[in-house]
Amino acid sequence: MASEIAPNRLVPFRWPAGWTPDHLKLLAGSPINCLLINDPGQSIDAAARAAGLEVREWSSLSPAPLAKVRWDGSAPIVAVTEVAWPQIKPMERGANAEAGPTGVPWIDSTSWVARLAASRAPSKQVWLGCDPPGDQVLTARAYRLAIADCAATGARWMISLDPKLAAGIAAGNAEALATWQQMSDTLAFFEKRAAWRSYRQRGPLGVISTFAGDNEFMSTEVLNLAARRNLLYRVIDRSVAGSDDLGGLRAVLWVDPEKPSATLTTKLSAFARGGGLLIVSRAAAAAFPGERNLDCAVAGYDLRAFGKGGVASPQRDWDDPYFVALDSHNLISRRYDPVRVFNGSSLWVHYSADPRGTASLIQFVEFAGGRRGGGVSGSVVSLRIQYPHGAVQIHTMESGTARPLEPVRVGKDVEYHLPSFSVYAALEVTA
Amino acid sequence: MTKTSISRRELLAGAGWAAAGAVLGSPSRARAEAPTAPVALGRCDSYGSEVVPALNKMFDQLGGLGRLVKGKTVAIKINLTGNPDDRLGYLPIGQTAWVHPAVIGATVHLLGQAGATRIRLLESPWKSAEPLEEYMILAGWDPREFSTAAPRVEFENTNFLGRGKEYARFPVPHGGHLFPAYDLNHSYRDCDVFVSIGKLKEHLTAGVTMSAKNCFGITPCTIYGDGAGVDEPGLLPLGGRMPIHSGNRQPSKTSLPEKDPKSPREGGYRVPRAVADLVAARPIHLAMIDGIESMTHAETIGPRNKHVTPHALVAGLNAVCVDAVGAALMGFDAMADRGKAPFETCDNTLRLAEELGVGTRDLKRIEVIGEKISSLVVDYRKVGAAPAKA
Repeated sequence: MASEIAPNRLVPFRWPAGWTPDHLKLLAGSPINCLLINDPGQSIDAAARAAGLEVREWSSLSPAPLAKVRWDGSAPIVAVTEVAWPQIKPMERGANAEAGPTGVPWIDSTSWVARLAASRAPSKQVWLGCDPPGDQVLTARAYRLAIADCAATGARWMISLDPKLAAGIAAGNAEALATWQQMSDTLAFFEKRAAWRSYRQRGPLGVISTFAGDNEFMSTEVLNLAARRNLLYRVIDRSVAGSDDLGGLRAVLWVDPEKPSATLTTKLSAFARGGGLLIVSRAAAAAFPGERNLDCAVAGYDLRAFGKGGVASPQRDWDDPYFVALDSHNLISRRYDPVRVFNGSSLWVHYSADPRGTASLIQFVEFAGGRRGGGVSGSVVSLRIQYPHGAVQIHTMESGTARPLEPVRVGKDVEYHLPSFSVYAALEVTA
Repeated sequence: MTKTSISRRELLAGAGWAAAGAVLGSPSRARAEAPTAPVALGRCDSYGSEVVPALNKMFDQLGGLGRLVKGKTVAIKINLTGNPDDRLGYLPIGQTAWVHPAVIGATVHLLGQAGATRIRLLESPWKSAEPLEEYMILAGWDPREFSTAAPRVEFENTNFLGRGKEYARFPVPHGGHLFPAYDLNHSYRDCDVFVSIGKLKEHLTAGVTMSAKNCFGITPCTIYGDGAGVDEPGLLPLGGRMPIHSGNRQPSKTSLPEKDPKSPREGGYRVPRAVADLVAARPIHLAMIDGIESMTHAETIGPRNKHVTPHALVAGLNAVCVDAVGAALMGFDAMADRGKAPFETCDNTLRLAEELGVGTRDLKRIEVIGEKISSLVVDYRKVGAAPAKA
C-alpha cells in the first residue's frame, strides 16, 4: 500500500469497526485522507482508494507507547500510542486541593509527548494515539480539543471515535453528525494553516535528558509539568545534545543524575561562560564547579558564577518533578517568558517561530469548557508579548479568517485583549 | 520575640499600646482604653503620578515619615492575595484584588526619602516558596520599579523560613484569642518599623480586609498550613491556611498550639481572632489602605466581583483606627457585630483587636485628617447588588 500522498499531508483516521464502504461518503469534504484499519478484512480498501484516500493497516505503523517507539526506523511516521486524552481534570495535587482562595486546574495535554517525539525523530511526522476515555460522555468540544492540542505542536491525532459516537454517526444521528462536522471543520482549520507545522518550538529553556530508562519518569514529568506552567522549552535528547547549538536559550536543565560526557561538559560550560544558566542535578554539579557562590533567591539551591553566566544545583537530590519544573522557572525568571498571559489558568500556551525568522506564532489551547473567571465578561484573556514584534493577527475557529489584533495601552505596558474563543486561538506575530 | 520593653517611638505611634496592654491589663480593660490615633484620608483619582504627592501629603498630616523611619529598617507587608495572573475582566490585578504597584512604589520611595536605611517588601504567596519577585512578575509587575525606588530594597517570601535561621516567636498580649503566640518569618522581627498596606475589600470569611486582615498572611504555611510539618516546620509550604480557618489540625509541635481546641471550628470565628492576635502580637506602626480602585464582594477574583473606584487612600499609625475609616468608606459600620453587614457570618476583627488593646474602632474617637469620609464613600453592597453592565 504505497503512499501517494506525502506523509506530511496525511490526516489519519481510525476507521471504526462496523463502518462499511457506504460510510466513506461521510468523509466527503473532510480533510481526512488516510484511513487506519485494524483488520485487513475490513473491505474498504478498494472503495477508499477509489475515493482518493490512503489506507494503512494499523500494525504497519508499528504503533507503540512512548517508551517503546523505535525512533531510528525508516518509516516517515512515528505513531505513539497510549497518550493521555487531553482534558482538564479536577486538581488532585497538594495536601488540601479544595481549600483556599487560589489554585490551578490539572490538565492533561499531549504536547510534551509530541515535543519529545519531534526531538527524537526530527524528520518524521508525529502521530499521536489518544483514545477517548470510555468512562465519559464526550462532547464535540472534547474532540475538537483533541485535534487542536495535537495540532498545536505540529503533531496529528490519529482520530478515533468512541463507539457510541461512531455508531451515532453511522446511523445518521443528528447530534452525532453535528459533532462529526465540527471535527471536520477543526481539521480543515489546521490544514489551511499547514505551514505552521514547520515552525520550530521556542522557549528560554532547553531540557536535556536521555528521557529513557531510569531517567524516564523524572525527565518526562518535568516536560509535562513545565509545559503545564507555560514554561516554554526545547527538548534536547542527550544523545544529540552535542550537535545542538543551544542557540536562543537562556538556560539549560540537565535532569539526569549522571554526569555529562567530557564533550558535553565542555559544551555546557561554554554555554554558561557565555552568559547562560546551567541548572544541573546535584550529582552532576561536580562537573561544573563554577567560580564563586552567589546569592540564590530560590530556596534549596546553590548558585555559582560561571563566566558571564552561572550554574545552579539543588542542595538535595531532586525527587519531585513538579518542583524541578517550578524551581527551574524561578531560576531562569519568568521575566524571560516570551508571553505573559492573564486569566489563562486553563490555557496551554505554545510559542514557535518560522524557520526563516520572519514570524512567530503564539498558540492557545483552551481546556476549560464554557465560561470561566474574569467576571461578567466571561472568558476574557489578555496578554503581553514580551519580545520586540510588529503586527499581530489573530486566528480563531470562530472567525475563520485572520484579522488584526490591535494593541491596547495599559498603564506603561502594551497588551492584547483576546476576543472570546472556545477551543483554540493563535496569534501570528510579525517580526 | 518576647517584648519586655516599649520604645518611646512605639508609644508615640500608638501601635505600641498594643504591647503596653500586654503588660498593663486584661482584654476588657484594654478595650476600654483602646488607643486612638489620627487617620489621614486622601483623594487620589488614579494610579498615575498623583500617588506620590497624595501619600506625601498624608504622611505629613500624620507628622511626617522621618520621625518614624529615619535610620531604620522598615518591613512592609503587602497584600497580594490570589492567583497573580487572575484578572477581573481585562483589569490588571492592582486595580482590583491586590495593592497597586504604584502605591507600593510610592510608599517605598517616600520611606527611602524619609531616611529608611533598608526596606523589605514581604508577602507569603499562597502555597509557595517562590521568590516574591517572581510572584510579582507573574502579575505583570516589574519588581525593579520597587528596588530602584529607594536605596536598599529587599524582597522576601515569608511563607517559610526564607533567609532566616529560625522562626521568631511573637506572644499575643493578654494571652491572645486563638493562639498564645505565633511563630513567624524572621523579617517580622528583624525590622524597626512594620508597615501593612492592605486593599479596600470585602472578605468572604472575615467580612472586610484592609491593613489588619492583610496580616493574616504573615503566618508561614510551613507551620500553620495544611502541609506543615507535624513535629517541626516543613521546609516548604505545601498548602493553604485551612488549619487556621477550620482548626482541622494544630501547627507544627515546635510552635504553641491553639488555646482552646474545643472552640468553634469555623472560619467566621477563627479567622477574625487570628487576625486580631497577629496585629496585637506584631504591632503595625504604619497602616495603609489602597482604595483608589478595588472590587466588591470578596478578597479574590471571581465571577461576582465588581470593579469600584473609591479614589481613596487611607493611612495612620493605628491599624484599627485606619480600618475603621476604611470600613466606613465601603459603606460599613465598624461598630457592627456578628449578624450585621459586613459581618453576617463572622465576628468583627476590629472589635477583637480592640479588645486586645490595639486601637479603637469608634469613629467618634478617631480624628480623620484631610478628606471627609462622606466625600469618598462607595457603598460596596449597593454596587455589588446592581445589575451587571452589558
